[in-house]
Parts: sequence; C-alpha cells; structure tokens
Amino acid sequence: MWLTSKIKQILMVMKPGVVTLNYPAERPPVPKNLRGQPVWDHQKCIGCGGCSDHCPSRCILTRDVCQELRVMLYDGSRCTYCGRCADVCPEGAITMSNSFEIACDNKEDITTRLELFMMTCQRCGRCYEMEKTNAIDRINLKGFRYDNLEQRAMVRKTTETFSPDMLKESDNYQRPSEK
Amino acid sequence: MRKELEAKLIARLRDDVVCVEKTDERTIFVDVKRAGFREATQIICGVGARYLCSVGYDNIDRDGTLAMVHTFALDDRNQFVCCRTAAPVDDPVIESITPDLPSAGWSEREVTDLLGLRFAGHPKPKKLVLADDWPEGIYPLRKDVPHDLVPQGAEDVAYQLDEAPPGTKIVPVGPFHPSLHEPEHFAVYVDGETIKGCDYRGFMTHRGIEKLCQTQVSYNEVPFIAERICGICGSVHATAFSQAVESAAGLVIPRRAEFIRTLMLEIERIHSNLLWLGVAGHLIGFDTVFMQAWRVREQIMWLCERLTGNRKTYGMILVGGVRRDITPEIAQDILTVVKKIEEELMVIYRAVEKDTSIHKRTKGVGTITRQQAIDWNLIGPVARARGVDIDARRDHPYAAYDEVKFEVPVLDSCDVWATLVVRVVETFEAIKIIRQCLDKMPGGEIFVEMKDKIPAQRHAITVVEAPRGESVHYVITGEENRPERWRVRAPTFTNLQAVPLMLLDEQFADFPIVMGSIDPCFSCTDRVAVVDLQTGNASSVSKAELDAMSRKHQERVKK
Repeated sequence: MWLTSKIKQILMVMKPGVVTLNYPAERPPVPKNLRGQPVWDHQKCIGCGGCSDHCPSRCILTRDVCQELRVMLYDGSRCTYCGRCADVCPEGAITMSNSFEIACDNKEDITTRLELFMMTCQRCGRCYEMEKTNAIDRINLKGFRYDNLEQRAMVRKTTETFSPDMLKESDNYQRPSEK
Repeated sequence: MRKELEAKLIARLRDDVVCVEKTDERTIFVDVKRAGFREATQIICGVGARYLCSVGYDNIDRDGTLAMVHTFALDDRNQFVCCRTAAPVDDPVIESITPDLPSAGWSEREVTDLLGLRFAGHPKPKKLVLADDWPEGIYPLRKDVPHDLVPQGAEDVAYQLDEAPPGTKIVPVGPFHPSLHEPEHFAVYVDGETIKGCDYRGFMTHRGIEKLCQTQVSYNEVPFIAERICGICGSVHATAFSQAVESAAGLVIPRRAEFIRTLMLEIERIHSNLLWLGVAGHLIGFDTVFMQAWRVREQIMWLCERLTGNRKTYGMILVGGVRRDITPEIAQDILTVVKKIEEELMVIYRAVEKDTSIHKRTKGVGTITRQQAIDWNLIGPVARARGVDIDARRDHPYAAYDEVKFEVPVLDSCDVWATLVVRVVETFEAIKIIRQCLDKMPGGEIFVEMKDKIPAQRHAITVVEAPRGESVHYVITGEENRPERWRVRAPTFTNLQAVPLMLLDEQFADFPIVMGSIDPCFSCTDRVAVVDLQTGNASSVSKAELDAMSRKHQERVKK
C-alpha cells in the first residue's frame, strides 16, 4: 500500500509550482486593495480627530497646544494597518497606500506629524460626520484634547473650552505604576 | 424549555431560585442564590446541557457583590442557558462545580485569579492566569484596578508543579514550546519513554485584552482587537464579539453582511485547516505534506490580500456589518481560487490517505474514548474525531449558516488520524459553503447604522465555530460606549484541559503530535530541558534534537 502512496507523493511533488516569490530581487505584485502605510494629506485634513478616536491601537494622537493650533501625530511604530482611519475620515484625507516596505531604524521615519491651524469653532464637534452615523460609531471625545505626544500616550480627557491647566497636567502625564 | 427548566429548578431549590427569564429566542438566564448554585448547574446539566464556560464579573459598585455565570448550551434545541449568582465581596466564596464538570476547572481558577472569587471544593486551586509574582490581593479585573497597572515584581517565586507520580521523571517542555510555538510550560512525567501524566503552566502571554477593552476602547474598536486574539481564527473572534453586541443591542444586520461574514469565516477555515495539516505533517517528520499543504495555503493568503487588503487579520468585521463588499470580480476570483485549492488538496489527500508511515504515527495515538471526550467537553474537530456530533454552525446557526447546506464529518476512531481526516473533510465542506454563499448572496447594504445607544447591563452570549472548535463570547454591555465585561473563551481553553488525558500512556516522542492535534494556537519554538531527578543534572535538548528524536521514533515504527 505504501508504495502506491509514495508514487502518488512523487507525482504530487513533480509539478508543484512554486509560491515562493523572488523577493527582493523582484517586487511582488501588490493588489490595489492592499492596506499599506496610511498617508495623510495635510491639505484635506480638517483636524476633526475622528481617526484618533477610532484607531484601535491608539497610534493617532491629538493635542491642542493652544486655542488655534492642533497637532495630529501618527505613530507608525504601533500601527496595525487596519485602515479604519481611512474609512472614517470625512474628507478623504487619509489613504491606505500600497507601500509596505516600511521597516526602518528610526521611529521618526514612519511618524507623521501634522500641525493644523484651527479656526476658532472647535466646540461644535467639527465637521466629523456625527449626525448621520451609527451610535456605536459616535465619538466620545469632543472639543479640545491633550494627548501626550512625548510619551506617545492617549490622555482620555477633553474639555469644552481650551484649558491651559489641562495642557500642563497632560505635560506631566505619568503612567500609573503601583496601586 | 424555559418553563420546563423553571419547574425543575423550583421543585428542587424552592426559594433559592430568583428568576428564570428568556431574553431572546436562544438565551435563558437563570438567577439563583449562592446556596443553590451548584445544584442548579447539576439540574441544568440533567436536562442535557453541555457546559461552555464560566464568566465572573465585578458588581461591587452596584450592590457590593462579585457575580459568577456558568454558561451551557442545549445543542439539540439551539438554546443557551446562563446560570448566574453573586457573592458579597467580603465573603467571596462560591461552591465549585469542577467536581461535576472537570472542564470548569480552568474557568474557575481564572475567576479566582482575576476577580478574587474563591471556589470551595475546587480540586486544584492554583494560580492559572496571573504571573507567579503577582502580588496578593490585587485582582486585575476589578473596576478599581487601572488597566495599565504594573505592580512590583517579586523574586524567587515559582510555580509549584504537581507532585510527580512515584517512579517517574519530569521532563519540562517549555516555557517556549517546541511544537506549539507558544510560551507554555508542560511538565511531563515520564516512566522510560511512556508518559504517565503532566502538569501545565501557561498564560505567560496573558495580555489583559479583556481588561483593555473594558476600560479603554469603544465597541467600535474592539472587533479589531478581538481579531488579534488569535492570528489564525481572527475573524471568528471579531464575528463572535460583534454578534454578542448586536444581540445585546437588538441590532439586526443586513443579510448580505451576514453572508459576507460566513464567507470570511469559511475562507479562514480553509486557511486554518491547510495550515494545521502542514504543521501536523511537520510534527511527525513528514515534511512533504508540510510543504505541499502550505503551498496550497499560500494561494488563499494571496486571495485574502486582494479581498480584504491583508493576508491575515482581515479586518472585515465590525459591529453592525462588514467593511468591504464582495464585487462580482472578487466573487469570480474566489471561485477560481477555491476550485484550484479543492483540486490540489484532493491530490495531497489521495497521496497521504493510505500512507503507512502517517498511519503508524497517528492511528491509535492520543486516544480517549467518546465518553471521556463528552465528560471533558471537547469541542471542534477533536471532539468530532471522537464520535461527538457537535458543530456550532449547525446546532446554533449564526450569520448565514441557516441557509447553507453542509455535512458535519464525525468519526469514531478516537485518535489523531481521525482528527486529520475530519479537518481535511471540513476543508472540502468549507469550499462547498463558499460556493453556496456566493450563489445565494442577496444584494443590499453591508452595514447598518445604529440610531440609539446600546443599553447598559444587557447580557449576551454567542458561539462561533472556529476551525479548531467553538469560541464562546459573553458580553455585558456597559456605559461609555464600551462593554462592561467581555469574556472570550477560545477553543484551546477547553481542549487543552483534556490533553493530560490524551497523553496518558503515550510515547514521549508522540507528545508533539498529540499536542498538535488539538491545534493549540501555534507560534514559536525554543528548547526543552531534560532534568534527571536522581542526579539533579539538567541538560538541554534543542529543537533540532527533539525533532531528531521524533524522527528516530518514526524510523523505529517503520521497521
């Protein structure tokens, strides 16, 4: 019995076809739907913060430095490339590119930092499509936000109006360590 | 069923029954007082229910109690029974059900670790989930403990293994396991080369995903985190979580979305079964199977890349529907790929089905009887290979499984070989389901918008059949747009508990394949230390040496 099996196995491996790609000598085909590195278009971004509210890995941080200046920071070292930010962006400012060769020795190379000059209407929930969307989609953070960019930590605190105290407090943000 | 159960419970327990209610067509919740808890679970088992898992949750803020839920499934009626009770936080003791249901052992130990609820009469009240140096009195799943707490580590604390049976030696396998590719530690007690028992210490990569999702993120992000619980059955967890939330919120998702979910789950099943077939071949030293199965598998990864944008962790499923639609071109692409896979898998199967060397390494290995499989609540292909006819897709239909037709392969030779056959047959069934899905898929929306907030304090349970068994998700909805408690029971959690039984009286060289047969989540490999108890000398065996041992065994059985 084993002989026929072995013959079948030999026949099976005779014409196996190869799936190993000749990478990096040849660039592999990239499907157009690939969720590669997200790219920000700073001209389209309105700074609504929708992407940072939906990022499962919390790698998009938003910090209001003052009433008019909002910093959006994308920390690619933590990104899982789920593409959720590109889905929710109301302005289409984020696209999932097909670039995947993004290994680098400096974290800053895959970090995108946008400094957006905001108009004064920061309180109305902005232009993020809040009305027509899902209740589970609804963002729970509105107004001014104070994530700590140095520690790459999301500080889940917001205020209706810009608060310098909160800004200072989040400056000294520490991770809890002991009960 | 509710009335029947209520009558039985009241007849035996009288005042201890608080209420028996049916929240939807599938789920019955039984609330009992603490004194009658164990008896209530016995009554529920008496009506033919199968134990799923246990969930503990913190209710201290509300009424000063720690609550406990044991969940059961009635497979022939498509119903779930959840038996709840509570114990005050200053006297957190509940009677253990492990003496009746051995597979509840880990769930109860987990609750003890994470919530501080203790179980009277538990046969093995050791630490399970938490690190050995985790300080006493801090229970991470309680609400007053922050999610990112890093307590001070202690030194010279180690897990105390079970006493070895007399006349045996201990072979520690792990902490990095040579075949499971996952950090878990087995102490295998061997007499010569025969395994006489083993003790398990795992959960070294317990990452607190449940705590994270209960405190930090919202319903919307959890499916992505759920997907990363397991690299192989990611969609299963995302689907299960989404279904649990939808069921709690009473949200009905579009039919097309359900079909796409089914499609993704089946594509994932093909992938997982091919991967497992390859690994199983590798574990017994038959690398032809490994190479060929993985070659076939590669095509499905490419397909998924075109379909979802990623080879694995598809990220297709959200609460309320799916993210990407199946266009006619993609549908055609799927059909072409599965046809090719069907043909190529058939070639592999024909080539190995009568191969004597595979038979010698898998037939009669890892044997446990059907009754033992039922007692230990084995699930998935491991159970179906032992004559237990359960499949969540058929017994508790979810997504679009009520509309597709498929066979559930059940074998009764009770060994690793039967598991292998079951999984190969299931791959062909999965291909059948994919074709039906594409045929029957209705048009329409793929995502539903939800107008209202999800009400807090709703309980929901869902079961989704992963390639390696069923996953159970239990969700309690909470305030602030996030679950208050989310319990995930992956299939390995149940199947691994029965591994000591499967290993009993097997050869040590069969350890990798017996272990591999339950398909514990595979990851990476390191080394095995062999300690000679008499001299206390430790020597190390590298992976290559263990593989060599395994292969030497192969050659021996060939003769």
